[in-house]
Amino acid sequence: MNIFSLLSQSGPAETTDYFIAGYTIFFIVMGLYLLSLSLRQRSLKQELAMLAEDLP
Amino acid sequence: MDPKPKALTILDIVAIVLFLAAVWMVFFFAPLEAVMGQVQKVFYFHVATAWVGMLGFMAAGVAGIAYLRTQNLKWDIVEVAAVEISLVFFFIAIVLGSIWARPIWNTWWTWDPRLTTAAIVELVYAAYMLLRQGIDDPERRARFGAVYTILGFVSVPITFLTIRILRTIHPVVVGSSEGGNIGMTGDMKIVFFFSLFVFTVIFADLLWHRVRLGQLAAKVEQERLKVLS
Repeated sequence: MNIFSLLSQSGPAETTDYFIAGYTIFFIVMGLYLLSLSLRQRSLKQELAMLAEDLP
Repeated sequence: MDPKPKALTILDIVAIVLFLAAVWMVFFFAPLEAVMGQVQKVFYFHVATAWVGMLGFMAAGVAGIAYLRTQNLKWDIVEVAAVEISLVFFFIAIVLGSIWARPIWNTWWTWDPRLTTAAIVELVYAAYMLLRQGIDDPERRARFGAVYTILGFVSVPITFLTIRILRTIHPVVVGSSEGGNIGMTGDMKIVFFFSLFVFTVIFADLLWHRVRLGQLAAKVEQERLKVLS
């Protein structure tokens, strides 16, 4: 399908699969980034607690 | 790490509510485009994520200038936070654009000036993240980062302007009445500008969180040095 076939058709093109794929990828990438922020924060807090124990 | 400020909790809630509203508007309120069909709705978040990406790269450049003027490492934390978030959003914008292009241009990717410059921007800032990690001295790293983000920002307005000054197949969404632009109805404009606003709020919220994470990392680094000394 290209722009010429899109323009020559009578109704909207059937592009729902691409719409779903786009938003699925959006949610996955955003979810992974939020997860990464959360994991890094937890790891740093644990490290800070361990360092506090090591300090005299 | 300092306790989470109440204002940040409020901003989290506002960002989540606005985001859910934007998703609802894209899925159920925005009208179906007469030619492209459902895939046209990808463009609401495509433009919004690209906008936030560019905003963050600009914020990083401003933080870089602030660091060079003050030599205060807090600006380095802001700078790297802005770049990291923008890299994620700009990556999403490129992927969403590619998904939109497949049924409309009949290809996932083409070396059009806009697509090429957008890919260059992403690579320029990905390189920034990698190169930073190779510098151990915090002040040297901050100075390098500041200069890099100021120079790197040159690629951002070039990308923004390519569709306006060069021959390209990428549509102009805002600021053009000539052919090649996407003609939006009133309801489409509402969803479009609302999405831009929502993603700006989300960016502010994420930036605050990421800056706090950077501050925590700096604190861990200081404590580590104390233990070693």
